Amino acid sequence: MIIARDLTKTYGPRTAVDGISFTVEPGRVTGFLGPNGAGKSTTMRMVLGLDRPTSGSVTVNGSRYADSPAPLREVGALLEARALHPGRTARNHLRWLAASNALPATRIDAVLGLVGLEGVADQRVGRFSLGMSQRLGIAVALLGDPAVVVLDEPVNGLDPEGIRWVRTLARQLAAEGRTVFVSSHLMAEMALTADHLVVIGRGRVLADCPTADFIARHAAAHVRVRSPQSGELAAVLRRSGAHVTADGEGLRVEGLDTSGIGDLAGAHGLVLHELTLVRSSLEDAFMTLTADSVEYGTTPAGAAR
Amino acid sequence: MTAAVTADRPVPTTPPAAAGASRPGFGNVLRAEWIKFWSVRSTAWSVATLFVLGAGLTVLVCATSAEWLAGDEADESPASFVTWGLMLAQVTAVVLGTLVATSEYGTGMIRATLAAVPRRGPVLAAKAAVLTSTLLVAGTVTAFAGYLGGNAFLSAEGIGLSLDDDGVLRALVGSGLYLAGLGLLSMAVGLLVRHTAAALATVLGIVFVVGNMAFLLPGGWGEWVAKVLPGNAGSAVATPVSFNPELLDPWPGFAVFAVEVAVLLAVATVAFRRRDA
Repeated sequence: MIIARDLTKTYGPRTAVDGISFTVEPGRVTGFLGPNGAGKSTTMRMVLGLDRPTSGSVTVNGSRYADSPAPLREVGALLEARALHPGRTARNHLRWLAASNALPATRIDAVLGLVGLEGVADQRVGRFSLGMSQRLGIAVALLGDPAVVVLDEPVNGLDPEGIRWVRTLARQLAAEGRTVFVSSHLMAEMALTADHLVVIGRGRVLADCPTADFIARHAAAHVRVRSPQSGELAAVLRRSGAHVTADGEGLRVEGLDTSGIGDLAGAHGLVLHELTLVRSSLEDAFMTLTADSVEYGTTPAGAAR
Repeated sequence: MTAAVTADRPVPTTPPAAAGASRPGFGNVLRAEWIKFWSVRSTAWSVATLFVLGAGLTVLVCATSAEWLAGDEADESPASFVTWGLMLAQVTAVVLGTLVATSEYGTGMIRATLAAVPRRGPVLAAKAAVLTSTLLVAGTVTAFAGYLGGNAFLSAEGIGLSLDDDGVLRALVGSGLYLAGLGLLSMAVGLLVRHTAAALATVLGIVFVVGNMAFLLPGGWGEWVAKVLPGNAGSAVATPVSFNPELLDPWPGFAVFAVEVAVLLAVATVAFRRRDA
């Protein structure tokens, strides 16, 4: 279990993490979602005691990470896949890590096998692709067989097979009762992987809820209708319980599906020029939620005209 | 169908928190740093270069100078030549010491290191121990090899030095001590600067450039500044008779050097403990 309370980190005048609180429970995958620069990595570095919080606190299994005598056995982390000495072999990288926490050497082969790198274990990691580096980073995270696993953007640079593998692995680790905390800036990926979401933007928590709730709340569908008799149509639809609002030249209808609207219009002899189901994607929901908090935003090409 | 095979591979782990092996101590940190130090090529290359430059150049210079040194017009002592190569070999100690600190910052490895061992004091102590022991042994062995090889040419001219002669044994062991100290100094600067090129330029600049130019400073204070600069204060112990008569005596000079290294290491330790990784 990871508990953050009023966690704040400032770099000079810039506030990277602004008083966030959240709890990462064991037995499920918690997604840590936010656009680039939202403060995800800074938060994860504070979880691991690498950066000191300006104020607030974060504990792992009830104590500060830095107080653990053998942290790799309690918390396994993938922070930056490329943070490796290019001249060292994968096996030697795992060897020094195992030595530092008095882990048995058998764990090295176990995790190399687990991530599928046993064939290249004695190659220098400078030759590794980003995907292979990510796999090595996950091997490092699992080396101490920890109860808490923290993965910062683990699917970056992975091919579809690798992404599926990470997803399966994260779910399996959670099913074993471990605490799994996975960050990503990809909403769609998190929707498939995480049971619970902590969404942050500009260093603040924007949402902290089960993934299913987030989807239900933010990814609703509506129907767009155009009719030369839109006033009468709106009245008819409202009478049958639908929520109707003006949407440009047409109407935006929630609470009725396309066939229901078509039937009603037909029964009242109203003409329809358009009847379209509009599904707002999770990605859209995420964009809307974090729109104000994107640090390096771009203006959409269409809006620039 | 490799996709399915990889994705569905079971996780061969025991239940969480089952790995209740022995509680790791400083010995584990030391072992980790030792593995880290020797598992990159630059370490072996640096130590090999140290030996080739240190021993090889000593032999070469003794071989080419022996006849002149034995003659009447020689104005230098043969004792200044038996550790000659160490003057250049010290560059490799600077490189090795710098890289111990800066290579971790250049690659981002430092975060892996401190995630594995969050107590920063032991990390630093282990790095210092690995570096110091390596340079102490490599420096002393190199100095002995250079002496044995070079002295053979001097002996052939009848001006050889015995290990019992004044300062000879002290200079051979002193070579190891000086290189170890120089390595630590470089590591401290590396920790403060956290950038390989900047740290190398700083240390090499102070030891070689500033150290030599300082003797041009006027007056008594200028002379003292020159005497106490680390490269000047520390190097006298590494040669039986120095080429430079203005240096401090070997052991007082080394004591000054040791204090300088200790102060710089203390500052670097404070910075290392305070700063975010």
